[in-house]
Amino acid sequence: MERTYISTIPGRINLSMKEFFLTMQDFFLFSLRAFITIPKIRRYWRDFLDQAKIAGADSLPIVLVSSVAIGALLAVEVGNLLEDFGAKTMLGRSTALSVIRELGPLIMGLMLSARYGSRNGAELGAMKISEQIDALRAFGTDPVAKLVMPRLVAALIVFIPLTAIADFSGLYSAALLAEHYHKIDPGIFWNAVFPRLVFKDFVVGFLKAPVFAIIITLVSCFNGFIAQGGTAGVGRSTIKGIVVSSGLILVANFYVSKLVLENM
Amino acid sequence: MIELQDITLRYGTREILNNVSLTIEDNKIKAVLGPSGVGKSTILKLILGLIKPNCGKILIDGIDITQLKESQLYPIRRKMGIVFQGNALFDSMSISENLGFFLRENLKLSEKETERRVAEQIAFAGLEGYEDSLPENLSGGMKKRVAIGRALIFNPKMILFDEPTAGLDPVSSKKILGLISSLRNKSDLGAAIVTHIIDDVFQVADSVAVLYQGKIIFDDETGKLHDSTHPFIQSILSDKILEQ
Repeated sequence: MERTYISTIPGRINLSMKEFFLTMQDFFLFSLRAFITIPKIRRYWRDFLDQAKIAGADSLPIVLVSSVAIGALLAVEVGNLLEDFGAKTMLGRSTALSVIRELGPLIMGLMLSARYGSRNGAELGAMKISEQIDALRAFGTDPVAKLVMPRLVAALIVFIPLTAIADFSGLYSAALLAEHYHKIDPGIFWNAVFPRLVFKDFVVGFLKAPVFAIIITLVSCFNGFIAQGGTAGVGRSTIKGIVVSSGLILVANFYVSKLVLENM
Repeated sequence: MIELQDITLRYGTREILNNVSLTIEDNKIKAVLGPSGVGKSTILKLILGLIKPNCGKILIDGIDITQLKESQLYPIRRKMGIVFQGNALFDSMSISENLGFFLRENLKLSEKETERRVAEQIAFAGLEGYEDSLPENLSGGMKKRVAIGRALIFNPKMILFDEPTAGLDPVSSKKILGLISSLRNKSDLGAAIVTHIIDDVFQVADSVAVLYQGKIIFDDETGKLHDSTHPFIQSILSDKILEQ
């Protein structure tokens, strides 16, 4: 059989690289389109409200459960460590910094990537496979403006209060554990939290919410839009959306913290 | 009028269409006949500008759409209605919402006029009483009629059918073909049908183009198909339903 260039290892690497850069180009143009169409939000306000409910109110239980669990775990583990140094009263301070700067937004981001991102990927992927996205284009409606932009705006708006809720519930569960497990007076715990938190701590935490909103929405929707290969293809694109957005959230979490802490 | 001039389309190294030229006239029903997977549906997507050819021109009323941006294509697409093979109805919307969706999206009509047009299409499709049903609760034939109604609701100049009777039972197929034939009575409406079922062509099409191995091997009036000596056409005339 004839051995073509494509079947050789350099040929396959070349093809993969070409596909990767073409996908990146498509993703960039797709993202740009999503932002450019934001002025059309008044036209799609019903879609925006639907998505705000899905991303916000409907996601509240998973955000609460995960942030309460993380807050409680931090209180137990960090409290044990501080006890060894006789610094148990610093538990409020260390928990607050961890939750507000890092773990509150990060856990919320990962949970929303799994919940909101997977829903976007599966729903849009199914629409792509059943030609509903082609139908939108064929009848003169911009599918990015109709399907992606309201999701993006909804996520940008509701992820901020969700972060606040995640932070507060995480801290509150830590305070409860501090009181009942480490026998730290709540007054001492909260006194170590609020007077010592500075503006920079909130900027680090709350800046992550819109960054994660952009990553989760655009990555998951893009993967839905390029789904192909029937129902198995929808599954593949959904998984890809979650894996890529979760990875990007972890990377972005590090860089947002680094940039803000170094420059404020 | 729709004209495809020397269209070539490749996916990677695979050539789907090779130098295809085709004309679909206004007020006529044109069929594109060919085996499954030969690129018939691709022709419809090219006409709508959903995909672009590697070379060649696609003229819609004299405008070459291969040179247009996506936003410039929207007004051109509104001249045409399409009925997808899988219908592509919005499964979260009721039948009347599906029918009215693009009117509300793209035309600034009064709600009264929108409702009038929706009611007109529901009556045309014979779906009275199903206005509030979801597509999942309808039979295949009923979904197809809703999809035809959705394509007609804009009063397009041309309607494109992708395998209109594929997967339907004989009774539903007959109803759909009857519905397509009745479109002849609508003024200024042309249609293009891609199909692999030769009986559909003889029942509704004024002219037919046969697509085989990426090329048009026949393009003339439907009645003249029997005169063709091409071996593939001779074989399909005896087999009736094409399989590759």
